[in-house]
Amino acid sequence: MANGSLLTHLLRGEKYPAGGGCLCLAGDCPHCLATVDGIAYVRTCQTPYHEGVSVEPHPESGRLPPPVSLGDRAPVPARSIHCDVVVIGQGPAGRGAADEARDAGQHVVTLESRLGQDAIGIYPGPLVVARTNSGMWHLYPREGIVVATGASEIQPVVPGNDLRGLVTARAAAELTSTGIDLGRVIAVGTPPADVVATTVAGELVRFEPRSGDPRRVGAVVMRDAKGQEQRHECDTVSLGLGLTPRDALLRMARGTNIRGVGDVLLAPDLPPCPSTGVVCPCAGVTVDDLRSVHGRGFRELDLVKRATLAGTGPCQGAVCVPHIRSFLGAQGSDPPASFTARPVTRQLTLGEAAAGAHHAATPRTALDSQHRALGAQMERLGGWWRPWHYGDVDAEYTAVRNGASICDVSTLGKMQISGPDAVALLEHLYPVPIASLAPGRSRYVLLLDERGYVVDDGMVSRDSETRFTLTFTSGGARFAEAWVRDWAESLDCDVRIMNQTMSLGAINVTGPRARDLLALAGVDSPPAFLHHAVATVAGVSARIFRLSFTGEMSFELHHAADDSTDLWQRLLDLGAGLGVRPHGLEALMKLRLEMGHIIVGQDTDFDSTPRRLNHEWAVRLDKPSFVGRAAVVRTNKVSLDRQLCMLEAEGEAPAEGATIWAGDDYAGYVTSSGWSPALGRSVMLGWLRVQPGINAGSAGLPTMVTIDGRPAHRVTTRSFDPEGLRARA
Amino acid sequence: MRALERMLFTRVVATPAAIDRAVWPTGALVLRIAQDEVLAAGTVDLGAVPDQHAIVEPETAFCGAWVDHKSGIQFLEHACDWELPAERPAFAQGAVAGIPVKVWFEAERILFLVPVPFVIDFAERWS
Amino acid sequence: MNEFVERLVDLRWPDHVRPSYDVVIIGGGGHGLATAYYLATRHGITNVAVIEKGYIGSGNSGRNTTIIRANYGIPEAVRFYQHSLEMYGQLEQETGRDLMHATKGLLWIAHSEAGVRQERARAEINTAFGSRTEYVDVKTISEICPQLDMTGQGVWPIYGASYHPAGASARHDRVVWAYAEGAMRLGVHVHQRTTVTGFLRDGDRVTGVQTTAGPIGGGLVVSAVGGHVTTLASMVGLRLPIRTHQLQAFVTNRYAQAFGPIVASSGLGVYVSQTAKGEMLVGAEVDRAPAYAYDSGHSFLRSCAFRSIALLPFLRDLRVLRQWTGVCDMSTDYSPVMGFTGVPNLLVTTGWGTWGFKAIPAGGEQMAALIATGRTPPLIAPFALERFANDRTMADRGSAGTH
Repeated sequence: MANGSLLTHLLRGEKYPAGGGCLCLAGDCPHCLATVDGIAYVRTCQTPYHEGVSVEPHPESGRLPPPVSLGDRAPVPARSIHCDVVVIGQGPAGRGAADEARDAGQHVVTLESRLGQDAIGIYPGPLVVARTNSGMWHLYPREGIVVATGASEIQPVVPGNDLRGLVTARAAAELTSTGIDLGRVIAVGTPPADVVATTVAGELVRFEPRSGDPRRVGAVVMRDAKGQEQRHECDTVSLGLGLTPRDALLRMARGTNIRGVGDVLLAPDLPPCPSTGVVCPCAGVTVDDLRSVHGRGFRELDLVKRATLAGTGPCQGAVCVPHIRSFLGAQGSDPPASFTARPVTRQLTLGEAAAGAHHAATPRTALDSQHRALGAQMERLGGWWRPWHYGDVDAEYTAVRNGASICDVSTLGKMQISGPDAVALLEHLYPVPIASLAPGRSRYVLLLDERGYVVDDGMVSRDSETRFTLTFTSGGARFAEAWVRDWAESLDCDVRIMNQTMSLGAINVTGPRARDLLALAGVDSPPAFLHHAVATVAGVSARIFRLSFTGEMSFELHHAADDSTDLWQRLLDLGAGLGVRPHGLEALMKLRLEMGHIIVGQDTDFDSTPRRLNHEWAVRLDKPSFVGRAAVVRTNKVSLDRQLCMLEAEGEAPAEGATIWAGDDYAGYVTSSGWSPALGRSVMLGWLRVQPGINAGSAGLPTMVTIDGRPAHRVTTRSFDPEGLRARA
Repeated sequence: MRALERMLFTRVVATPAAIDRAVWPTGALVLRIAQDEVLAAGTVDLGAVPDQHAIVEPETAFCGAWVDHKSGIQFLEHACDWELPAERPAFAQGAVAGIPVKVWFEAERILFLVPVPFVIDFAERWS
Repeated sequence: MNEFVERLVDLRWPDHVRPSYDVVIIGGGGHGLATAYYLATRHGITNVAVIEKGYIGSGNSGRNTTIIRANYGIPEAVRFYQHSLEMYGQLEQETGRDLMHATKGLLWIAHSEAGVRQERARAEINTAFGSRTEYVDVKTISEICPQLDMTGQGVWPIYGASYHPAGASARHDRVVWAYAEGAMRLGVHVHQRTTVTGFLRDGDRVTGVQTTAGPIGGGLVVSAVGGHVTTLASMVGLRLPIRTHQLQAFVTNRYAQAFGPIVASSGLGVYVSQTAKGEMLVGAEVDRAPAYAYDSGHSFLRSCAFRSIALLPFLRDLRVLRQWTGVCDMSTDYSPVMGFTGVPNLLVTTGWGTWGFKAIPAGGEQMAALIATGRTPPLIAPFALERFANDRTMADRGSAGTH
């Protein structure tokens, strides 16, 4: 690092980021963690020093840093890099592997934690994710991954291993090379390179504090070959206790083209079985704790880990695992393999992890700004931004029932199907006859899955012998395209499929005076009920579909999306004299509820058969085959258990979701509810369970129920315009 | 926020063979967005596609913006996970800043095509 | 002294495998061990083996996010999970073990009109069936959890929430061990590192299991297997209405206790709590594509971190420690499947999806009662496998979605 690490900067000033412990300077141990620039658990040995850096030690004695976020930060950038080879680690082995790949003409990306480039994981793909000081890198190697992460040094587990002044042999060498004076150095095990040190032999027994500074090491005690303790005074102890490969990344990347080079392939050294002291500094686990849980049946490495939490802290077992392996090995079995390797192998903040992510964008219709300009409260509905109301739901409702109104229904799924097998495909997809549908006509359809459950509804309109227009619900449109394409492919149908959901705008003109509004827009003979036609409406080329969801005469105008604003504004202008105003979804919910029309998703559950929805009329079992037919036939043989019903009650509308009671028995719940101005009472859709002891004449469904503590009753025929005369007017 | 402008295309769905043999307007941008589907700038004559069942429709729901090559690439490297094509010209499509976008790469410049329902969100993310 | 070191449980492993047992339970997770525990403690049935291919609790029992709640969407589920929640409240006393059980309260946040409708419905049905849940407004929400960004970064504003005060958590491993210990003490054999490779049959009847430790006879065989239940069932030609999906989670480092409740959002598809250790625990919905693999995904980590920050901005500067994956046995109606299978002498407890942990006490108790009496107790009768053939599915929106 250009300015050196934050840790060496601190040590040069005789400052310690944390209490003590054997420093490794390699990002393995937890002893140099501190809160740096407001982020806790930062390894100061892996963090470059910069002017003005703020370093706060973590609270003392096992207390934890607070979970807080400090101030504004620029979003972390993310970069995707597609390359041939990623080499993780730039020690001698990693540099060699990188050079070799480059010489072979490959595009190589290298990562080196000393440069602040930490690989945090290897994911399926393969994808190597690295946290760097300039943001996140997402690396996609085409050829392979080389892991050259080397090996970490084994930490001492003896009393006093939490003192300051303990360093690994490599750390001793590095500190010395950066000009830090370690004082009198005692070397235990492998001595540090190029450091003046006294090497002592024997078995490490403990570290003793210095008189006058109980946090700092003053001596190391060894046991010699004769069993005698030997005390060696010192300022620093260098510990060369062996190596453990840093192979978590290597073990994580199963099934990908990955290889290790250098020390990462070493067989792990096994330290002597620890007899006393802290094994896991992160979780504060002692050798006594290991003995205690082992003696009570926790004998596997993973069970020991779970019973003590050793290895679950910031260093993820780098310190404790060699010693626990050794401990378990000494209990009579072979030393176990290490824990399963999982991301993240080096830490990163959630803000860094989130780099490059975005909120799921909610699409807007071409009329979005028109709605907002009219003061609409916009809501996410069916996966789109839609106007919930324009400030006066009652007036919007009244405009539809008594005059004329327009509604943006551009969010409907819209699809064209063309081809010699179009009829065959649609006959298979829909539970109603398609071949008999004449060109120019439309039909309401349910979409069933193989289990006979209703997954969507919509319209099928026939344009010609071989061409159809399909509509789906707003929420179902995305699913629908995959559904239609899958079946077309499975059945090997010769069809062309064009999803025009986003390409076309759609405006519904509805109300008893809808025809008058169309006349003002230049359409003199609009199509009859369940017919459709092409026409120019207020100067805009459109296809007019005559159907009805509101219960009133309705004309759905499908048009090129870039004509939406013109058409919308012209209809409002032309209709000013008719009192035309737009209505939002809240009014529409009420209008359709008066008609008993369901909304798939709101009123249906994910196991709603046509029978449960009281929509058997929309399924023609005399058709020999369609998706879901077998399931419908099978379930029809079983008695009905519940049904979606229309309900009415005096007084204000109960909340949607309200529980329905039949006497003291649970009967179901309300899926849709609203006050009906037309009827002067509340209307609802809700699920009712077949109740034991209710006569078969009502199919076992209760007639009188209680909702919100008030009486309500089931109706078998809707009260408002039961014949549907208004829609056909 | 960048300005994206409405662009007029013709969208054609036909058999892959018919798409291969179709005669497109000379010099027009023709994007093969699927085996059986093309987005062609301007107007395409129905007769140009040798498939009697072809669906040919005007497509007005894309907004586009041309940007210089360098800044386009710089944005893409930070905004998408997929691999950018190396050859020029080239067409690619996928999530860019979490939005479904079509991208046309020329030697000197890059065209971003965004469905109108996502234009506001895309422009915000492309600042 | 480290309070998280388990200092009480004493696991007594068997030193041999008997040629046969009255009951063989496949799967040494919470459900399998609880079933064995209740067989032994409530019904005196102790000639029982629990066969575990890894170590006990190594599957979903040790990978879940330890949330205990009863705020489901249909009466049968509310009753069942409320019973389980109440059993959890007594479990420390019953077993004499410290399970780190803590009642925290659970907020389920709505970000839209549709979300409000769903949370109101949840409050209604819960309250009607004895599990208290109330619909709360934004002011109450910010009192319960002041760290929430009520604007959802300006993108996901909070409209309201359902609040389930009894929402709780417990240390998952300790629940597993308490049941294991209790069962073992009464003589139940728990065989770790033993994999079932097939079934012993006598005609249609299952008479035991073939394992890596040899054949083991069983008067009854019970599958308490998680994500791999479908592969196990296929060994007897049994097709279950189960698909296996990954469920992922991650934790941060340990921080001082400052976050009381459990917070979930269906709109954002995340839930967040703080563990007894101090880790912030973040989970999401199951991955859509079915999979048996345990690979952790980067797209999960990235998007889940992103969405949780939108809800709780303080999470941004916390450091991720570890992520992991479980594989969940999701039934097609999002309700569990308990009881007879149609294959004589083979029972299942499955379909535990993302809600298995909270069901361990009641699931074990009820399965034990069924095994001991040969009759399905009323509490779990609605969850019989035959419901799929009889068109009596138990679609539960309260369990679809998060955890």
